[in-house]
Amino acid sequence: MSFDWLIIWNNIGLLLHGALITIEITILSVGFGFCIGLFVSMANLSHFKPLRILMKCYVEIFRGTPLLVQIFMIYFALPVLIGHRIDPFIAAVAACSINSGAYVSEIFRAGIQSIDKGQMEAGRSLGLSWGQTMRYIIWPQAFKAIIPPLGNEFIAMLKDTSLVSVIGFEELTRTGQLIIARTYGAFEIWSAVSVIYLAMTLSISRFVAYLERRYKI
Amino acid sequence: MDTPMIQMVDVVKSFGSNTVLKGVNLSVAQGEVVVIIGPSGSGKSTILRCMNYLEQPTSGDVIVDGMNLNRKENINKVRTEVGMVFQRFNLFPHMTVLENIILAPKKVRGISADEAKERAMELLKKVGLADKADAYPEQLSGGQQQRVAIARALAMRPKALLFDEPTSALDPEMVHEVLDVMKKLADEGMTMVVVTHEMGFAKEVATRVLFVDEGKILEEGTPYDVFDAPKNDRTKLFLSKIL
Repeated sequence: MSFDWLIIWNNIGLLLHGALITIEITILSVGFGFCIGLFVSMANLSHFKPLRILMKCYVEIFRGTPLLVQIFMIYFALPVLIGHRIDPFIAAVAACSINSGAYVSEIFRAGIQSIDKGQMEAGRSLGLSWGQTMRYIIWPQAFKAIIPPLGNEFIAMLKDTSLVSVIGFEELTRTGQLIIARTYGAFEIWSAVSVIYLAMTLSISRFVAYLERRYKI
Repeated sequence: MDTPMIQMVDVVKSFGSNTVLKGVNLSVAQGEVVVIIGPSGSGKSTILRCMNYLEQPTSGDVIVDGMNLNRKENINKVRTEVGMVFQRFNLFPHMTVLENIILAPKKVRGISADEAKERAMELLKKVGLADKADAYPEQLSGGQQQRVAIARALAMRPKALLFDEPTSALDPEMVHEVLDVMKKLADEGMTMVVVTHEMGFAKEVATRVLFVDEGKILEEGTPYDVFDAPKNDRTKLFLSKIL
């Protein structure tokens, strides 16, 4: 068989649009995941034990079950419970955000724990409050430590968004499937899809490398 | 007599089943330089860390400048008035020397950046590091870092300073530069509580020496009393090993 460039050329607009949707879900999911993770990692430092246990359960459940199953839970199972259909886009972003939040909170926890205990003591001994010490002393240092793992999470999330194609949401992978159903160009389209994913993940890892250099990790 | 600067009454501190302090009573008057000595693991650092509630006593009272630390709102107030210098310096590595010093005056005291900088430069001059204002901690030697840490504590204009083995993490040739700064502070009348193994410093600078072992103050007195005429057998044993 021969590689039919025309199939790709004729559908490049659709593919790039799919890629844009993939980027959109990834940014939203990691963004929400970042907020969830920040909240969870702070709650984990609380003296209120039930809160810590709750956060631990959240992290274990969403790291311990497949994202695919979580997507099914939110898109297919949850509507049965609430008696209301959920929009695929919302289901996709919700599943990915909640999943990402569990990983990001662990990244934050590790980042904060990597900072020497003496830093908190020094801050507190100067009369800074816990919040001020976190903000001016612990966080800026932890932030440098979490850039590389956060970059990895971003890349992993970008690839994992392909899973939301199973609920019919048209991101890059689903767009590819639909084009193949029409053109039978499986080889051409999956190759193109792969190259587009690779281009996106490589861009992210270059960006993370730049950040690492800039912050002299 | 004036109210003491720092007072500890029947302070007990346990970590789980391990009781580190077994009823500590002490009082530090304004202008005193109290040196705490004792074997490692005796609880001397814990006594110091209870004075600004970095360790919260299991029972007993710590009263600083008339404020009892068992009231939560007093803890931060006391910490602004009692500075601490740590064994491992604990400078903030992501900030320059100057930023390390002006952070707390700015954020806690609400002093303007310009005023805080001016004061910081005075303090750096005092500890002999005016030329290092823009350096980062990692670019300094241990002795220099500790002098910055002292300047950082002084920037809050504290009424007392706590030193937790300030020279133990230093190379021998850098010990004296830190001790010199401490001596200068003592001469200026700063109230100081110092946990140290530097017996020479204790003899020369201390107004009072406390010997601590197994969570209790076993002996206290002038440096002469404790070093040259110890009464307690454990003090004698300890001194015979280190002097």
